[in-house]
Amino acid sequence: MSDFVELCRQEWKRLGVPDPLAEEMAADLASDLGEAEADGVSAEELLGSSAFDPRSFAASWAAERGIVPVPAGRGSAGRRPIVLVAFTAVAAIALIVAALLLLTGQPTVSVVASRTSRPTPPHVPSPPSALLGPPGSSRIVLHTSASTPVEWILLLLAVVALGFAAWLWSSLGRSRPPTAPA
Amino acid sequence: MAPGSQRRTELLRGVLDLCLLAVMDEGPAYGYEMTKRLRDRGLAMVGEGSIYPLLGRLERDGLVETYRAASNGGPPRKYYRPSSTGRLALALGVSEWRAARDAVDAVLAPVKVEVAS
Repeated sequence: MSDFVELCRQEWKRLGVPDPLAEEMAADLASDLGEAEADGVSAEELLGSSAFDPRSFAASWAAERGIVPVPAGRGSAGRRPIVLVAFTAVAAIALIVAALLLLTGQPTVSVVASRTSRPTPPHVPSPPSALLGPPGSSRIVLHTSASTPVEWILLLLAVVALGFAAWLWSSLGRSRPPTAPA
Repeated sequence: MAPGSQRRTELLRGVLDLCLLAVMDEGPAYGYEMTKRLRDRGLAMVGEGSIYPLLGRLERDGLVETYRAASNGGPPRKYYRPSSTGRLALALGVSEWRAARDAVDAVLAPVKVEVAS
C-alpha cells in the first residue's frame, strides 16, 4: 500500500501540487489505507478501481480539490480546442476559397478563333475589356475580374487567421498540463 | 465488471455526494471512517468510485468544513463535516432523490420479478 501512496506522491509532484498539500493528502491516504488493511479491508474496497491506477487517482483528487487544472476534455478547458479546431478549419477553408478564386479569376487571355463580324448584336453587351480587332479578324479577348481586390483581401485575412490559429495552438500546447495516463 | 455491478456503480455515482454529506452529518468523520459508515449501510466502494476526489470537490465547493485532529491515539486525521451550505445542499439533494426514486418506483412497480434460484 505504501507503493500506492508513493506513486500518488510522485504524480502530485509531477503535476506541481504544492508540497504541503501533497504531504497532507499522502498522509491521509496512508493512514486510511493502513487502517483499512488492519481491518482486513482491501485497497479496492476503499478506492474502487482507482486502486489499480494510482496516477489517475492522484490527478483526479488534486483536480477535484482545485489544486491543479481539470484535465483536458472536461469543462471549458475541454471545449476550447473544439472552438479552436472550428476556427482553424474556417480559416483554412477561407484560404482555399481565396486561392481558388484568385486562380480562376486571374486576368486571362483567350483567343476567339472564329471570325466575328461587327457590330455586336445589341442584346449581347460588349465586354469593356475586350480588345476587338477589325471586323472579320481574329478576336482577342482579355478577361479581367473586377473582384480581384476582394479575393486578395480574403486571402490576406485567411493567412492572418491561420497564423493566429497556429499561435493559439502553440500556446495551448505550452499551457496544457500533462495528462495522467489512463 | 458485471452488468448489475456496473448499474449499481452508476446509480451510486449520482448520489454519492449526498451519501457522504449524510454520513458526515451524523458526526465529523475522516475518509476511511466515512467508507465504513457507508459499508455498514450496504454501500461498498467496489467499482469505479472513490470518495477522495469527491471529498476534494465538496471541499472546493465549500460544502464541507475540515479540521485536523488525532484519531484514537493514531496520527492526526482530516475530519469533514457539512458546512451550512452543505446542509442546505443535502436537504435539496435528498428532496430531489426522493422525487426521482418515487417516479422510478411508479414506473417499475408493476414489473414482476422472479428470481430463479
